[in-house]
Amino acid sequence: MKKLSVLLVDDREEFVTTLAERLMLHGMEVETANNGEDALGILKEKAIDVAVLDVIMPGMGGLEILERIKNTHPDIQVILLTGHGSTKEGIEGMHLGAFDFLMKPVDLEELIAKMKTSVQGTHKE
Amino acid sequence: MKETTEDVMRAEYLAFVGRVSASLSHEIKNTLAIIGETSGLIGDLLEYSPPPPDWDTFPRFKELLSSIAGQVNRSVTIVTRLNRFAHSMDDPVVSLELNELLQDINNLAQRFANLKEVRLKTHLSNGRLTVQTDPFRLQQVVFGFIDRGLQTAPKDSSVTITSGQTDGLAQIVITDEGPPQAESINRQVSAPQATFEETEGKNGVALSVLGLIAAQLGGSIEAEDLKPRGNRITIRVPLESQ
Repeated sequence: MKKLSVLLVDDREEFVTTLAERLMLHGMEVETANNGEDALGILKEKAIDVAVLDVIMPGMGGLEILERIKNTHPDIQVILLTGHGSTKEGIEGMHLGAFDFLMKPVDLEELIAKMKTSVQGTHKE
Repeated sequence: MKETTEDVMRAEYLAFVGRVSASLSHEIKNTLAIIGETSGLIGDLLEYSPPPPDWDTFPRFKELLSSIAGQVNRSVTIVTRLNRFAHSMDDPVVSLELNELLQDINNLAQRFANLKEVRLKTHLSNGRLTVQTDPFRLQQVVFGFIDRGLQTAPKDSSVTITSGQTDGLAQIVITDEGPPQAESINRQVSAPQATFEETEGKNGVALSVLGLIAAQLGGSIEAEDLKPRGNRITIRVPLESQ
């Protein structure tokens, strides 16, 4: 069965590599990027099911990446990560087409559950 | 009330403090996220690559990782409170749910209550109490009276925060079991100007300042003695007009 293919985008390299390793241990294929340009570059090369984007990053933020993904790859599900105590950016992201949002630090089980739910009907794991 | 240059400068000052505090709390959360993920990864690696059967400290490792995860979660809760508090300085007037604000203040004040060995409790109304106000200043008034209650309440007694509404006004009632001081409190909160001489103790609050802030918010403060001991402080602020 095909593994879930995930793209993690966060400017904190330690965070993204650690989370990627954990997701791989849970049977997923994971690509990582530390900025928007690299993330969009990966999408040209690889088939991705779910993109997990940090909202606040230097340069291109998560909401801008989300808009670009939805323009070029509308089938990719997007989950936003926000570090703020407010849900404002998350709700804005859902208006822009994100599947859902989670507050950082993320609960791994919750993130995995959200990713699986987001691709239900489009992906057979 | 007409805004003076001093009001505008104070609002800008608070917005600056709030912005910097919110940014710092955001950074702390990012660091906590890395600590949480790293300890989680160690746990996953232990789980997916079981250690040799003679590794008798293995359960202890798992226990310690669980402790790290618990402390990370606790820290995240504290930083989230700090973040919300910092954001309360963003705008001088917002529409807010009073019970949520009171719950936040209750959370922030719990440590002070623990240090005084006094129980801090809430009895918040079931319905929504929406007020349009300056959240930072209202928190300052409510916290000031909770702090006053904690300073004067005897050990093992209670300070209680209650909310409700009457005649178009939201009502916040703070009761304590300290010595009755209603007359002094009422005199101070109705003073025409603030004086530092009225500050109660080293870390106390000038009640005259709280009275002036409440008036600026369009509200009022009233104290009553409770029998045989205690005080009931009622803070009233206008509910948001429909």
